[in-house]
Amino acid sequence: MLRAILLLLSCQLAGEVIHRLTGLALPGAVIGMVLLVGWLALVPRERPGLVAVSGWLTAHLAVMFVPAAVGLVDEGAVLSRYGLGLVAATVVSTVLTLVVTALVFRWALLRFAPGDEA
Amino acid sequence: MLAAPLLWLTLTIGVFELFDTASRRSGRHPLFHPVLWSTPVLIGLLLATGTPYAIYKAATLPLSFLLGPAVVGLAVPIWAERVRIRRLAVPIALALGAGAVTSIVSAVGIMALLGAPHDILASIAPRATTTPVAMAVAGQLGGIPALAAVIVLFAGVVGAMIATPLLDALRLRDYRVRGFALGVAAHGIGAARAFQVDPVAGAMASLGMALNAVVTAALLSVVAAFT
Repeated sequence: MLRAILLLLSCQLAGEVIHRLTGLALPGAVIGMVLLVGWLALVPRERPGLVAVSGWLTAHLAVMFVPAAVGLVDEGAVLSRYGLGLVAATVVSTVLTLVVTALVFRWALLRFAPGDEA
Repeated sequence: MLAAPLLWLTLTIGVFELFDTASRRSGRHPLFHPVLWSTPVLIGLLLATGTPYAIYKAATLPLSFLLGPAVVGLAVPIWAERVRIRRLAVPIALALGAGAVTSIVSAVGIMALLGAPHDILASIAPRATTTPVAMAVAGQLGGIPALAAVIVLFAGVVGAMIATPLLDALRLRDYRVRGFALGVAAHGIGAARAFQVDPVAGAMASLGMALNAVVTAALLSVVAAFT
């Protein structure tokens, strides 16, 4: 368990260092995610601790971003000016993304992996 | 007392737990997503007690801190699906690229047409990624992390509610396709919905969410580097 936490924190720390050094807008935690995939590929073994810890974190993601969402308390002006537009843009963008991703995926499956089954 | 971390940390988890129970009772209906309800209640508590957000933010830091390791942990669903990723590399890459670009261009395009300033565009650009990534990317691009969090949450609710009727109307029956599209378009809330419908759809949705977090963040950081 502690080892899994250490692994997650080490990857995030390394990601954070790369983020600072390169000046990329890519967040350190996202770089850390890529590093962890690389580490799992380099040192393949069963990792029940890591599966448990990351599973627990993912399952409780929602409560962790409540403090950030509460930050809207200071954004009243933005919301009253652009709120409706943001709602419309978010709905349209979500629907379009669903449709485009699904249609491209179905087409590419038929074209490049016709025998593959779920 | 009102500035003490213990009070706001306890209240945040307590209020969340209350609405989480309600959400469970509703069978996890997207409209009962606990963040959707606990956020306004906590904002009300801050306003009622005259507590500045900066104090609340500092007090709840232990909770926000966990977002980083949680994002790193998304490597696990990617790794778990490595066989499928290798087998379906081309379809996954094409669908992911098309979905990520569609999401960014449509969301930013509409807000730009409405004359929104840069900080708003930067807040909506990562709207398809999972919330912690969206907040971090928005912050990096000069956007408002709180706004990004709420946009992403709303996008997830919309995606989770509309996916079944929309994909049925398009006659898309393959659960790999349905799940993956829902994960790319509506991140964790979409993935939670996909798991309710079918295990393959759920696994593909988790994969779509994790991969899109990387792709959208990478695309936006490249765009930011050249503008």
